[in-house]
Amino acid sequence: MTDNKTRCVITGLGMISAIGDNVAQCWESVLGSVSGIDHTTTVDTKDCYSDYAAEVRSKGWDSMPETEGMDRVSKLCIKAVAEAMEDSSLEDFKGDSRVSVIMGSCVGGVVSAEKYYTVKKDPALIPQMPISAIASQAAAWCHAGGAVTNVANACAAGTISIAYAADLIRAGKADIVVAGGADAFASVPFAGFTSLHALDANPCSPFNHLSGITLGEGAGALIVESYEHAVRRGAKIYCEVLGSGVTSDAHHITAPRPDGECQMNAIRTAIESSGLTEADIGYVNAHGTGTAKNDEAEFLSLHTIFDGKNDDLSVSSTKAMTGHCLGAAGAVEAVFAVKALTENTVPPTLGFDEADLVTLKERAGKLDFCPNTPRKKELNTVMSNSFAFGGNNASIVFSKQQGNVKAAGEKKRVAITGLGIVTPAGNGTEKYIEQCRRNSIRLEADMRSNVGKEEYDKLGLKMAFYRKLDHFSQLQCVSGMYALKDGSYEITPENAAQTGIIVGSSEGSLSPVCDFEMLIAEKGNANGSAFKFPNTVYNAAGGYLSICSGIKGYNVTATNGAQSGLFSVAYAMDVIRAGKQKAMLATGTDENNEIIRELYSGLGLAADEPVEPYSGREQFSLSDGSVSLLLEEENAAKERGAKIYAYAVGSGAASCGVKFGTLSGSGEALDKAIRAALEDAALRPEDISAVVGFANGHSAVDAIEKSSLKRVFKEAVLGLPVISVKNRLGEARAASAALGAAHAALLLNGDITCEEAYFFGDDDKMFVYNTDSRKLERILVISYGSGGSYSAVVISR
Amino acid sequence: MELKAKLKEFICSTLGVEADVLEYDTALFGDSPIGLDSVDSLEIISYVDGEYGVDMTGVGKEHFQSIDTIAAYIEANK
Repeated sequence: MTDNKTRCVITGLGMISAIGDNVAQCWESVLGSVSGIDHTTTVDTKDCYSDYAAEVRSKGWDSMPETEGMDRVSKLCIKAVAEAMEDSSLEDFKGDSRVSVIMGSCVGGVVSAEKYYTVKKDPALIPQMPISAIASQAAAWCHAGGAVTNVANACAAGTISIAYAADLIRAGKADIVVAGGADAFASVPFAGFTSLHALDANPCSPFNHLSGITLGEGAGALIVESYEHAVRRGAKIYCEVLGSGVTSDAHHITAPRPDGECQMNAIRTAIESSGLTEADIGYVNAHGTGTAKNDEAEFLSLHTIFDGKNDDLSVSSTKAMTGHCLGAAGAVEAVFAVKALTENTVPPTLGFDEADLVTLKERAGKLDFCPNTPRKKELNTVMSNSFAFGGNNASIVFSKQQGNVKAAGEKKRVAITGLGIVTPAGNGTEKYIEQCRRNSIRLEADMRSNVGKEEYDKLGLKMAFYRKLDHFSQLQCVSGMYALKDGSYEITPENAAQTGIIVGSSEGSLSPVCDFEMLIAEKGNANGSAFKFPNTVYNAAGGYLSICSGIKGYNVTATNGAQSGLFSVAYAMDVIRAGKQKAMLATGTDENNEIIRELYSGLGLAADEPVEPYSGREQFSLSDGSVSLLLEEENAAKERGAKIYAYAVGSGAASCGVKFGTLSGSGEALDKAIRAALEDAALRPEDISAVVGFANGHSAVDAIEKSSLKRVFKEAVLGLPVISVKNRLGEARAASAALGAAHAALLLNGDITCEEAYFFGDDDKMFVYNTDSRKLERILVISYGSGGSYSAVVISR
Repeated sequence: MELKAKLKEFICSTLGVEADVLEYDTALFGDSPIGLDSVDSLEIISYVDGEYGVDMTGVGKEHFQSIDTIAAYIEANK
């Protein structure tokens, strides 16, 4: 049985969707087989072949205090979070660093992007656009003080966020995680799915007509809590969160693998890591979108896994009621799965007439798809599945019973064995080392990375593949493949499923989103581009990397501001330490182009001349790039004779929510992140021989870094070298954060020996001296996220 | 511009295909080096409809084999 320390439970539920403003209303709709799908009135449907959507049509829910000016998606999220907290008898968290917020989303603040490009270019809309804003705003709203991030894995995002929440708790990094997902209905997803001909011309009918999806919107929030914490505070416990499985298809950017291999791996991993068998599952809340490709792959997976092993399995798709809520789908459906479990009621799949029922019988075999009306059934254990664009699959198990989830055991050591570096100054680790040695990179006001045929040929990437990539995905694929090459890590049938990816990005695919929005604003929603739309999902880059590398394991795109490229390292460490994967690519990628520059200029942040760190300005040099680190469990790395640059020995994250788009006032959270990383590595401040900082020349950013280092390192701060990667390469957000970790590894491995570093002077000024990196033993790498969240990672020889 | 040249220009500029490997009789779909897929075919259908008023929705695969076959279909159905 799962030991009490490892047990994770659900103690609160919240949701909003087309069928209700809260859990009670939504569940009543489920019991009444009510669908929320109707003709949309909020987006232009001229010349579009379908005009159906499942929108939140009720009024008044969006006027919650302290949410003014936020995008609709953040308001949906906070509405569900507020309900879940109340349901769990939780009040304001008052900055508690043991409370995290993890939210899934697919399209983020597209309503704000639409307003920006169709109504007025109001700078206030800009910070509301990226997915990054959602969890940050939710955390600031409830004053959660732990790790804050968004999982941007399209339609699997909500499920992954809950899986990650349980993993964080089991790793001892949180007591409570507010997890879930949110997405708003808007022109971008509507026109996008229209262009793909993926919308059903009628209300969708999953596992039935196989003629397409109907888009929905909403949010789901679950309070995921350590069992012991829940018991201590006397919380009501709905159920246990048992195991989960997260995999990637390595197949196609929009279509699932027809053979269902990686879907099945996700489902099997979820069952096995729960310590259960197929026969234990009573109900599956299926992904069931209604498209032929999804539903056929899912029929195949369910039959292959459960036929002959479970003759009493109920399966349904609640999307016929809520529509496809994209990044919120997994969260909304997890709430339904938990309600199904605790109410002993299987939700229905709507839309079957007499003739359909005959066809269903043939397709379903012994599986009960619960057509049209809910059904009472004694349930002990349920599962929720989500499959996404980008080829991401996620499955999670909830149960009334303890299951048999294995404790994490001793922390595994994580080695850094490969680096892939793409910067505006050039591509490849060797080139970067050479440039650092010669000190030949010159900072410019506006810096942009380029990859092209030369890199593709070197990496064996074919035109049939790379022609599809947008710039963001190009940067990511090249740096990821370079890291595998640098680490001599070949993906084989044996290790493909044991290798994963965490992509970190601040703005992710915001630029393709804006580009798509401009296209449909000009040509109408009927004339979006099927070629461009898949690249608007933030996890496209991670999906492409899975396709070109063959990686079939964990695949998550995490977005929480500039720190994303360092948070990804921390996240990947957690995955390896938990024994879920043997190796992980942790990346940081962000792009700079005309769209991104316009947005940063609109915020007054993009400088017209080079800006060095600590120069007291209000702007920075906007840059970009992609950096990937190959992390491996130490023994696995040694077994294959890998070169080891250094070790990632500790990580920490914390937040102090301030207005999204700002940082000031949140500095103490950086102290907490650093202290947490030191504690995780069992080190003291005096064990740290240098810091790779995040100062970019903007006075508010630099002041946070300086004051925090002074508080943590006290008088020792005077001799502490603070190394920068932004003094040469500008502010490349997630790419800078990941480069900070890569740079630390190169220093510790002796690839770069002499380094210009900043030192604190008596009067708070920073001075540049050369420092001999051979004396460095352990380097602390830090980064920040807009809205006041921070990451810290310790890299050691 | 001639029909085939325009189709080629569209495929290169919109679908990211490099011009030097694309002849009028080059196989566009499947395992060919061009490697177009169903998403790309949606773009071609949309372009052909918008530019020539020919609806290729649901048209057999054989007509999508190459620029030659697409052009022939357009000519025959204009």
